[in-house]
Amino acid sequence: MVSNMEQMTTILISLGYAFALVLAAPLVSGIIKVSKARLQNRRGPSLFQVYYDLFKLLQKDSVVSPTTSWIFTCAPYIYFAGAFGAAALLTSGDLFALLYLLVAGRFFLALASLDAGSSFGGMGGSRELYISVLVEPVLLVTLLTVAARAGSTKLAAMSAAAASTPFSLPYIFAAVAFLIILVAETGRIPVDNPDTHLELTMIHEAMVLEYSGRRLGLIFLAAASKQLVFILLFTVLFLPWQSGGLSPVMVFFWLVVKVVLTAVALAVLETSTNKMRLFKVPGFMGLAGMLALLALVAQ
Amino acid sequence: MIVELLLYFLMVFFIVGVVAPFFTSKNKIVNYVAHGMAALGCLAAILCAIIIFNSGKIELITPWVMFAEPVYIRLDYLAAYFLLIIGVAGCAASVYAIGYSKEYLEDGCRYRVMASLYNAFLLSMILVVSVSHVAAFVIVWEIMALTSFLLVNYEHTKNEVSKAAFIYIVMTHVGTAFIITAFFLLASKAGSLDFFHLIQTAGSLDTWTQNAVFLCALIGFGAKAGIIPLHIWLPRAHPAAPSHVSALMSGVMIKTAIYGLCRFYLEFLGTGPVWWGAVILILAIVSSVLGVLYALMEQDVKRLLAYSSVENIGIILLGMGAGLVFSAKGQGGLAALAWVAALYHVLNHAIFKSLLFMGAGAVLQSTHTKNIEQLGGLIRKMPYTAVWFLAGAAAISALPPLNGFVSEWMTFQALFYLPQSMTGALGKVFSAFLLALLGLTGALAAACFIKAFGIVFLAKPRSVQAEQAREANKPMLVSMAALSGLCLLLGLWPEPVIQMLKQVLSGIAGVDPAQVFAGTSWQAAEVHAGVANGSLQMPMVAVLLLLGVIVAGILYRLYGREQLRQGETWTCGIVPTSRMEYTATGFSKPIRLAFKAILRPQHETVADLTPNRYFGRRLSYHMSIVDIFSAIYRPINTGIIHAAQFMKAIQAGSVQLYIGYITAITVIALILSTGW
Repeated sequence: MVSNMEQMTTILISLGYAFALVLAAPLVSGIIKVSKARLQNRRGPSLFQVYYDLFKLLQKDSVVSPTTSWIFTCAPYIYFAGAFGAAALLTSGDLFALLYLLVAGRFFLALASLDAGSSFGGMGGSRELYISVLVEPVLLVTLLTVAARAGSTKLAAMSAAAASTPFSLPYIFAAVAFLIILVAETGRIPVDNPDTHLELTMIHEAMVLEYSGRRLGLIFLAAASKQLVFILLFTVLFLPWQSGGLSPVMVFFWLVVKVVLTAVALAVLETSTNKMRLFKVPGFMGLAGMLALLALVAQ
Repeated sequence: MIVELLLYFLMVFFIVGVVAPFFTSKNKIVNYVAHGMAALGCLAAILCAIIIFNSGKIELITPWVMFAEPVYIRLDYLAAYFLLIIGVAGCAASVYAIGYSKEYLEDGCRYRVMASLYNAFLLSMILVVSVSHVAAFVIVWEIMALTSFLLVNYEHTKNEVSKAAFIYIVMTHVGTAFIITAFFLLASKAGSLDFFHLIQTAGSLDTWTQNAVFLCALIGFGAKAGIIPLHIWLPRAHPAAPSHVSALMSGVMIKTAIYGLCRFYLEFLGTGPVWWGAVILILAIVSSVLGVLYALMEQDVKRLLAYSSVENIGIILLGMGAGLVFSAKGQGGLAALAWVAALYHVLNHAIFKSLLFMGAGAVLQSTHTKNIEQLGGLIRKMPYTAVWFLAGAAAISALPPLNGFVSEWMTFQALFYLPQSMTGALGKVFSAFLLALLGLTGALAAACFIKAFGIVFLAKPRSVQAEQAREANKPMLVSMAALSGLCLLLGLWPEPVIQMLKQVLSGIAGVDPAQVFAGTSWQAAEVHAGVANGSLQMPMVAVLLLLGVIVAGILYRLYGREQLRQGETWTCGIVPTSRMEYTATGFSKPIRLAFKAILRPQHETVADLTPNRYFGRRLSYHMSIVDIFSAIYRPINTGIIHAAQFMKAIQAGSVQLYIGYITAITVIALILSTGW
C-alpha cells in the first residue's frame, strides 16, 4: 500500500508539473516571438500575445470540411494529450515513453492532415514525417550520451548524471547536436518556418491548415508545450550548471533563466539563418548525428 | 492429464476439419464445419497453454513410436508459449475465415480443398512447436511448408500467384535442407533423435560443430522467418494467399521459425561466443530498416504488410541477438531482458499483424483491389474495419499505450545496456548505431502505417470500387475487434506475459529472469539487473494520456458549445475531387529521395502530346523499386539453369537410355555388394 501511496504522490506531482508547463508554454513562444521581432528591428507583439490568440481561438467556431471523419475531430485531443503526457513524464518518467507519447500525437496529426483530402495537408504530413524520420535516430544517439553515463533511461537519473559533470567535452558536442534537433523538432528555421503561410515552404503549418477555431487553439497550445518540453530537456540535460546544493527557489530561478536564454538563442538562430531546402535537411541532421557520435565516443 | 485430453480433443477437431469438407458438396456447410473446428482446435490449444503455465508442469505425451524411439509431444513452457500464440491468432483467423470465405463459396471443389488444407496447416504448426523429436519435427515442418504452399497457390491461374508460390516452395526447401543439416550435426553427436538428448549434449560439443550448427540453424530458420537477404519469397507469397491465410502466415508461421531458433540457441547450443549475437544483431538491424523502407514504398497494401513482417522479424531478432551477446558474457539478467523483449514482440506481432492482414482482407473483399492508390474514404463506408485497422496500425507503430510499445521499449532497453557486454568504444558505437537505427525503424514504421491508413481510409474515394465499398460482415469484425482488444490489454497490462516468459526462460543456461524482473508491482515492467535500472508503467502512461484528453476537452468547452459550420476543403476555387488528394506515392516521396541510394527508384514520365500540343497533355508516370537483394539471386538462378542444361545432355528422355543407366547402376551395385 505504501508503494501505492508513493505512486499516487508521484502521479500528482507530475500532473502539477504538466499543468505548470502547459500554462507557461505560450509565454515561451511569446518570448521567442518578441526576441525575433526585436532582432528584426520590429516592436513585435506583447509577450502575452500568444495567450490572447489562444483565448480568442478557444472562443471561435470552426469550419469543417465534409470530407473529414472522426480522425480529424480526435486528432487535436490526442496531439494535446501526447504533449501533456510528455510534460508529466519529464520529471519521473522514462525517456522512451516520453518520446513515444510525442510520436503518438504526431501520428494522429499526420493522419488528420490527410483527412480533408487537400493536397496541402498531405504535403505537410508527408514532410513532417520525413523530418521526423531524419530526427529520430539522431535524437536517440544524442540523448544516449547522457543516458549512458546515468546507466538508465529514467529521466530523473539522467538529469542527476548530467548535473554531476557539467560542461565536459562530450556534453558540449551533444548539446550542439541537441540544439540542431531542437530546431527541427519545434519546426523552426532552417528546417521549417513557423511564420510562413506560403504553401511551398510550410511543413507543420500545412499539416494543420484545415483546422480552425478551438481545435486549432488546442493544436497551438500542444505545439507550444511540446516545444517547452524539448527546451526543458535541453536545459536540464545539457545546461546543467548550478543545480547542486541550492534551495528549490534558486533552482527554479536558474531553470527559468536557462529556459529564457534558450528561447532567445532560438530566436537568434532563426534570425541569422535562412530556411534550408528540404532535401538539404539530411545533411544538417547528419552533422548533428556526427557530433552526437563524437560525444558518445569522447565519453 | 487434462492437457493430454485437451490435446486429443485438439487433434480430433483438426482432423475432423481436414476430413469433413470432403463429405459434403455444400460449401456453406463446409465453411462452418471446417473453420468452426479450426477455431475449436485453437481454443483447445490456448487452454492447454494456460493450464501448463498455471500448473507449472511440463506435459509429456507419447502417442507413437518411430524409428524404434518413442516420439514425445513435450509441452514445455517454450512450446506452450508458442502454442498460445498459434491458438490466439489461429482462433481469430478461423472466425474471420467464416466471414471471409463468402467470396470463395462459388469455387466448388477447390474451396473444399482449401478449407481442409487450412486445418492441416494449423495442425501442422501446432505440431511443429510441440513435437520433441527430430524426424517428427522435420516431417511436420514439411507438412506445414507444403500446406502453406498449396494455400498460397490457391489462385493458381494468376501468373504472379503461381510464381510467388514456387519461389516460396524453393526457398523454404533450401531452408529445410539447412535445418536438417543442423539437426543431423547435433543428432550424430547425441546419438539420438529425441530433443531431450540433444539438450543434454549441449555442453559437450566441439567449437566447430557448434558454429556449424549455429550457422545452419540461422540460415535454415532464417529463410522461413524472412530475414534479409533470405526474405525474397515473403513479400511475394504472403500477399498472394487468401487473406485469412496471409494473416496466419505473417502472424504465426514465420514465428515457428523463431521457435526453432529459440530451441537451438537457448537449449541445444548452450552459450556461445559473442560473435553469434553480433551476427544476428547485424542481420536483424538490416532486416528491420530495409524491411520497413520497402514497406513504406509499397503501393500494394498486402505487400506492404508483408514487408513490415520482415521488419518485425528484425526487431525480434534484435532482442535475440542481444540476448546471445549477454549470455555469452555471463550477464544472465540482461540476457533475460533481451529474450523477454524478443518473445514479447513475437506475441505482439502475431496479434497486430494478423489484425492488419484481416483489415486488408476486408478492404480487398469489399473493393477487389489491393492497390492503395485506388482506395480512399473507406472510413465512412467501413467504419468498424477502419477502427480496428487503425488499432493495429497504432500498435505496430509502437504507440503507447498499446502492446507494440511495451516490446519496443524492452528492446530499446536491451540494446541500451549492450555496452555492458561489448565494452570499449566499438561496443558503444555499435550499440548507438543499433539504437539509432531502431529509432529510425520506428519512425519509418509510423510513416508507413500513417500512409497505409491515411490513403486507404481517409479523404475521398479514389475509384468507383472504393465508393461502392461495404462494411465487412460480422465474423470478420468480431475477430478483428477481439485482436484489437488484445493489443490494448497487452499494452496496459504486460505483467502476465512477462510472468509467462519468466517461466519460459527459467532453467535455461546463461539466462536469469529472476534477476531482472524482480519487481512485484502488477502493472509495471520494471528492470533491475546489475546497474540496469528502468521501469515502464503503462497504466500511468495511459492515465496521463486520458487526463490529457480530458484537459483538452475542458479547454475545448471553456467557452461553451462550438458551432460547427461545414465548408468544402479549399482547393483554390475548383470543386475538390479525389484527384487532388495526395497519393501514396507522393506521400512517401521525400523519404524515397532521402534514401534513394538504397532504394534506387526507377521512374519515367511520358507526356502524350497527341490531344493538343499546348495544353491538356496526358502525362503518365511510372515508378518502380526493385528489391536490391533480388539481384544477388540472379547469378544463382543462371547457375542453376546452366547446371540444368548440362544435365539435359545425359537426360535425353529416351527410354532405352534410361534402361541402360539402370542396368549400369545395377551391375555396379552388384559388383560392389559382393565386396569384390
